[in-house]
Amino acid sequence: MSNEKKKKRLSPRKKKDTLTAYAFISPWIIGFACFTLFPIFFMLQVSLTNRKLNGISKFIGFKNYMNMFKSPAFWNSIKVTLLFTIIMVIVTTVWAVIMALLLNQKQRLNGIFQFCYFLPSVIPSVALAYAFRTIFGKEAGLLNAFLSLVSGKNVSVNWLYNHSTVYMAVFFITLFTYNTGQMMLIFRSGLSDVPGELYEACDLDGAGAFRKFFSVTLPMISPLVLFNAVNGCVSALNGSFALLYPLTGESGNPDGMTQVLSLLIYKEAFSNMKVGYACALSVLLFLLAALFGTALFSLSKKFVYYEN
Amino acid sequence: MKGKKWIAMMMTTAMALGLFAGCGSSGNTESAGGTQSQENTQEEAGEEVSEEATDEAAEDTADNAGGSKITICTWNEQNPNDDLNMYLQCKNATGIDLEVTVIPESDYSSKLNQMVATKDDSIDVYILWESDIANFAEVDGIVPLDDYLAGSSIDTGDFIPAVAALSEGMGGTYGLPWCAATEILFYNQDMFDAAGIDYPTNDWSYADFLAAAEKLTVKDGDATSVYGCSLPNVQTWWAGIGGAGDQVYDPSTGEMVIGSGAEEFIGDCADMVSKGIMPEPSSDTADLFASGKAAMAWAGSWNIATYGDGLGFNWDIATLPTNKVKYNTLHTGFYTINANSKDPENAWKVIEYLMSQEGQTINSKASGNMSALKTIADEGAWKVESATTIENWEAMTDSLSAGIFGYTCLPSGVTGNAISNFNSAVMGQMTPAEAVQSSSDYAAETIGY
Repeated sequence: MSNEKKKKRLSPRKKKDTLTAYAFISPWIIGFACFTLFPIFFMLQVSLTNRKLNGISKFIGFKNYMNMFKSPAFWNSIKVTLLFTIIMVIVTTVWAVIMALLLNQKQRLNGIFQFCYFLPSVIPSVALAYAFRTIFGKEAGLLNAFLSLVSGKNVSVNWLYNHSTVYMAVFFITLFTYNTGQMMLIFRSGLSDVPGELYEACDLDGAGAFRKFFSVTLPMISPLVLFNAVNGCVSALNGSFALLYPLTGESGNPDGMTQVLSLLIYKEAFSNMKVGYACALSVLLFLLAALFGTALFSLSKKFVYYEN
Repeated sequence: MKGKKWIAMMMTTAMALGLFAGCGSSGNTESAGGTQSQENTQEEAGEEVSEEATDEAAEDTADNAGGSKITICTWNEQNPNDDLNMYLQCKNATGIDLEVTVIPESDYSSKLNQMVATKDDSIDVYILWESDIANFAEVDGIVPLDDYLAGSSIDTGDFIPAVAALSEGMGGTYGLPWCAATEILFYNQDMFDAAGIDYPTNDWSYADFLAAAEKLTVKDGDATSVYGCSLPNVQTWWAGIGGAGDQVYDPSTGEMVIGSGAEEFIGDCADMVSKGIMPEPSSDTADLFASGKAAMAWAGSWNIATYGDGLGFNWDIATLPTNKVKYNTLHTGFYTINANSKDPENAWKVIEYLMSQEGQTINSKASGNMSALKTIADEGAWKVESATTIENWEAMTDSLSAGIFGYTCLPSGVTGNAISNFNSAVMGQMTPAEAVQSSSDYAAETIGY
């Protein structure tokens, strides 16, 4: 008897159970269809038009895509997006692991430290960026004032406008975003689940702290590293806008060095009113996110250790 | 199991109903949003008490106007002083219940474009920017005002020439300018006195400006403690470029036209930045002129009302000492009627009041901006009373006569991109020629869309 026939002969009770299960998940499916699937298909459709923000629209085929590949602003943005995403994921993940390791040490007032480290993460990215914009100012910036006080010399570094300092400043700020704080908490919970006997065995074999970390801790939390890396990638691709727009402007100052794709999409859609073109850029961003996710999952087969 | 089934069915039904309710729209719902926005604005301006006081008077006249309600949107908060609140006075004079919806300036243009795209009817009167009015007319988002004007006391022949030229380009009058603002030179008189330099005049040359900026700069070792002039801002970069001979904006093609003039002006600014006469572009949000860290500034005339008597030093104004030709950009917004307005007649009555002698005078007193109607501007209501140290009020009228609609007619993404490039050139990260070329390429790519 084939499986299909077996399925057809489901008992009425089973059928009811199946329908109940579908009914339970239907709110999510309806939400997903309306607020995720529909916008994606609508974006694909609009990307084939010359739609402007005021509603004028005409089908133009793949012209937006052809123009996009000819645009120096687009290629610069792709370069910046790749750089920003890769470095941001590395920097924030490493920082979150370090913080989680520190918090995992058995010492008094651990809860207070955890609260203090996590606190900046709950500040909205826009507010955080504005605060850091003031801190990194050249004329009236707090950081320059502090450095001048400490060094006894006049320090006036233009942190957010110099080619040599802008990335340093931006990546420093990413350490205080919600994403990093969330990563830290996830790593912390993962670290507490690493069996203590593994460390005891390491002690018996005379392993040092680094050996313990790379041979026990990292493999044991590697599924979490993968999870956080995927989340971090998506966050860097989509969420970087909220951080960079108030910090370096829609043109990605200086000289387009921080103009990630999400900033360019905003600029084209809402400043230049080119909605069709912005949708074509969004399709590229969507593909880029998918590419990063696929790459990370492919790598995970080699590097991630699953106990069971 | 039955219980679970019921719960699941109820949840699904609630979700579906919620979706239908959430996605459905009506004019009433949107208007309610507008009302909320207005309430917030008024609360922020601390106007609750004054609103109550004038509501009674307005109610009497509202009865005469049939209790009609008109909504206007703007980016400026209402003036907290009742006498200088033109919308409140309009409400009192016309009896029309005028609601004001404030949309933040950074989102203003894009929000209005979205409203037009969705044929939104929650706003009756849009104040449109120069870069939007032609696009709105093109998609029939706003109505032509020629028929209304034919039976009105507003004399369109009295508008400053730039406004008339803009209407001609659209084949009709789609909007009336709410004011005419210009760009001027602000200078710190105390610093000029200390440096022993004569005050700037309206016929000051560009060379005079460069020489004074150098002399006014105060150094503290390698660092500059007082700059001769602040860096041009997003508005006045274009005055410098236009003054150096470039057309900036070609109304016949809608394109950005910059070249050797831009290169020259960027080069001058880069030179001043390298000598510490001008500050580098930075993420600082402080106004260096207002904080006494710059002796001069090229900025918009609306800053007069902002500065008033609150700067703590003596200051005055002069026309911009541009290089080859007198140039500054006119700034305004246009009162227009939404094509989807349910009450265009009363919307016009509101515009008619705001363009009247009384409406324009209140606006000038509140904002410090001149009326675009010459006879009303000549009466001088725009001379801000609190700016007691200003003597050279002629700078305003001279600037207005040289003003044209320039960069404000270009998409803000194009001008923003260009300024980003200019700033990079000033920092030495690219040459002025590269900055001009890169900006022109991006403009060509964008404007031709």
